Amino acid sequence: MTEPRSPRAAESAPSPDSVSRASALTWLASPRIRPVVPLVAVLLLGAVLNANGAFFLWQTQRAVLREIAVEGILACGMTVVIVAGGIDLAVGSVLALSAVCFAWLTLPHGWSGLGAVLVVLVVGALAGAVSGALVAFARIQAFIVTLAMMVFARGVAKELSGGQKISNYVQSADGHFVNVPTPPIFGVLDGRVLGGELSVVTLIFAATVLVTWFVLRRLRIGRYLYAVGSSFEAARLSGVPVRATLVFAYLLSGLFAAIAGICQAAQETHGDPETGLGYELDAIAMVVLGGTSLAGGRGGVCLTLVGALTLGYLQKVLSLNAYSTELRLMLTGAILILAVLFQRRVSRETE
Amino acid sequence: MALLELRRVTKSFGGTAALRDVSFELEPGEVHVLAGENGAGKSTLIRIIAGALGDYAGELRLGGRALHFDGPAAARAAGIATIHQELSLVPALSVADNLLLATPGSPLAAVDRRGAREATTRALAELGLRIDPDTPVEALSLAERQLVEIARALTTDVRVLVMDEPTSALSAPDAERLLARVKALAGRGIGVIYISHRMDEIFRVADRVTVLRDGERVLTARASELGREGLLRALLGREIAAPAVANTAEKRPIRLRVRDLACDSRPRLEPVSFELRQGELLGVAGVEGSGASTLLHALFGDGARIRGDVALDGEPYRPRAPAQAFARGVALLAGDRHASVLAAQSVLENATLSSLRRFSPAALVRRHLELAAVKPEALRVRLKAPSLDAASGALSGGNQQKVALIRCLLARPKLLLLDDPTRGIDLGARADVHALLTELAAAGTSILFRTSDLTELTALADRALVLFDGRAVATLERRELEEARLLSLMMGGRA
Repeated sequence: MTEPRSPRAAESAPSPDSVSRASALTWLASPRIRPVVPLVAVLLLGAVLNANGAFFLWQTQRAVLREIAVEGILACGMTVVIVAGGIDLAVGSVLALSAVCFAWLTLPHGWSGLGAVLVVLVVGALAGAVSGALVAFARIQAFIVTLAMMVFARGVAKELSGGQKISNYVQSADGHFVNVPTPPIFGVLDGRVLGGELSVVTLIFAATVLVTWFVLRRLRIGRYLYAVGSSFEAARLSGVPVRATLVFAYLLSGLFAAIAGICQAAQETHGDPETGLGYELDAIAMVVLGGTSLAGGRGGVCLTLVGALTLGYLQKVLSLNAYSTELRLMLTGAILILAVLFQRRVSRETE
Repeated sequence: MALLELRRVTKSFGGTAALRDVSFELEPGEVHVLAGENGAGKSTLIRIIAGALGDYAGELRLGGRALHFDGPAAARAAGIATIHQELSLVPALSVADNLLLATPGSPLAAVDRRGAREATTRALAELGLRIDPDTPVEALSLAERQLVEIARALTTDVRVLVMDEPTSALSAPDAERLLARVKALAGRGIGVIYISHRMDEIFRVADRVTVLRDGERVLTARASELGREGLLRALLGREIAAPAVANTAEKRPIRLRVRDLACDSRPRLEPVSFELRQGELLGVAGVEGSGASTLLHALFGDGARIRGDVALDGEPYRPRAPAQAFARGVALLAGDRHASVLAAQSVLENATLSSLRRFSPAALVRRHLELAAVKPEALRVRLKAPSLDAASGALSGGNQQKVALIRCLLARPKLLLLDDPTRGIDLGARADVHALLTELAAAGTSILFRTSDLTELTALADRALVLFDGRAVATLERRELEEARLLSLMMGGRA
């Protein structure tokens, strides 16, 4: 018997050029590097179009970190829901409802900050739990359930506020309008720490990221969330409490939306029933930009943090260079698609 | 002259030959049954005929002309219609619209609704089916859908009709009606290739039978000359020898006592009673649709409500969810791999999912505890994976099955329910799984396993329960386990 000739041997010796290209791609596509490539690209863009050095100032970084905080908190909850194979369109409305509730309790009704915070957290968690229960027990699609909750929560916010912003300028019992004192919690949440170098909302965002990471990566329920998102059927047959897990995901998302709503009210110093319009879409964009798949079962909150930074810096670069709002929206949309296409393409080429 | 002829066809998948030098002839107007055990090469053969596999050696002749199809559309255009086990109707569309989908034409052409409805009514009437053409397909019974599928195949000029186990999901009277229609179609000069696992059906419908075994043609014979004995011998490839090993579990206490257990899930299960002792391996033999899977899932608290009495270690046992079954020490390995393995999750995450409480004191997952438990099990089942953190979906089928098995084992089950544990996995992995099951049984775990592989059943089982059409038709002791007998019972024949 003769040794069979291997025609592959000749072909498998690649040219040096293709080696360097392939290894560069492999590096870019490695799971650790891939998610930060769009962020690095945006930062490089900012460094080039630096608006006479304004991009390099710490106050610019501080502003970005403050501006992404509220939507970033929503994105943390969204990450948990998306990992579990769902979607939560209600977070923007629950944010508005929470902001209105918070202002309503503290300003006209004179509640203490802490009491109001606790009540609002319960309201947000409840809204999320209702969505979760409808998804888990009534088996209605998450998109439909949370779309309904988005409309409903917005309605409650408007009903509670009478369609007006709730500020510290309130009508007293005798019909005159008076200025009531704003509780100190507004100032605290809107303030800065570390000698004015870091916004409090940024710290709250960072804490939310940490909590989400802990839930997803360290707690038992984190495993269950990934399992349910990966395959509901397989998770169920493995004895995972699938329904409780789903309710938990939406409950956490509602809770985070309440936190975001309180921050929003503090920053605006009033409760606006029209606030947070479209925030759910920005939150989804942050999750997706980080590379988490909407199919569920994959991804994580670190990716979402990267996605939030990418989106935040992109906005900052465009606004520093005085691009019009219209152009900024168009560019953001285009770059979102480009980033996702890049991640997909690179991961496919190396698989 | 033969209507359809395959000459010396050979087809390999990555080194393993699925078909070796197989020749096959189909006469016009005949029903030609293709028989063989799982993996014998039947589906490869019909995929070649249907144009789904183009890369084979040998020759295909239709009406005397040598042809090579470059896709299913080419085969259809040449007059070969194939009806697969998974129906290809669009459930939300009406019957008329489904038939319209099959007619060639520009996607932008105007639809002649009235003409389509009339043509549909005519086509259905030919098959003896009287239903409103506007009925959505999802509102039809399975038997009606099967007939609509045939009607759709017949809208084009069909010379060869290939049917892959068309009655596997039908009740006996529905199957009977379908068989009558198949005979009538053959009477019109169409050549029918018919795949079936049911003994009665084969001899009811077949003019000729071709038996495949291990990718080779064993014989082609007239059904009347072959006889049931002859068919069984050809399918098994040898004379029947009985293994005689004593059931070692005979004296042990009873673990599971099932009295008149019935379940309305589809396929349904009619009242069945049996007992399972500690350390006993009870095989459940039954083809797809026999109710064997339903039995396993019913005992796992999955699916429709169950009737009857079940006792586990003497205590009443009626789980209403898989989580409750796990709490009582019952684990299930699902037959469908999508329902048993989380492809996106790592080997480790898959392995510990069912017993995660043990590895997460105070709700915190402890990786070192997981590793300490999973590593020895991975060695024991000879798992081949790049690492325990690799995504399970990237492993081979056999190794995915092993991951799912580790998950069951880590739940430390008293009763293990296995639905076709070695389906689609290679011989090496299969031997590993067999060794593991024997070892588990020896250690006292009771195992209820369904399989469609008779060699596996006779090699492993202490006893076997045979299901056919939702009913338990026999319980065989170890010394009675013969493949021919089992096969006959699984196909609805007598022992």
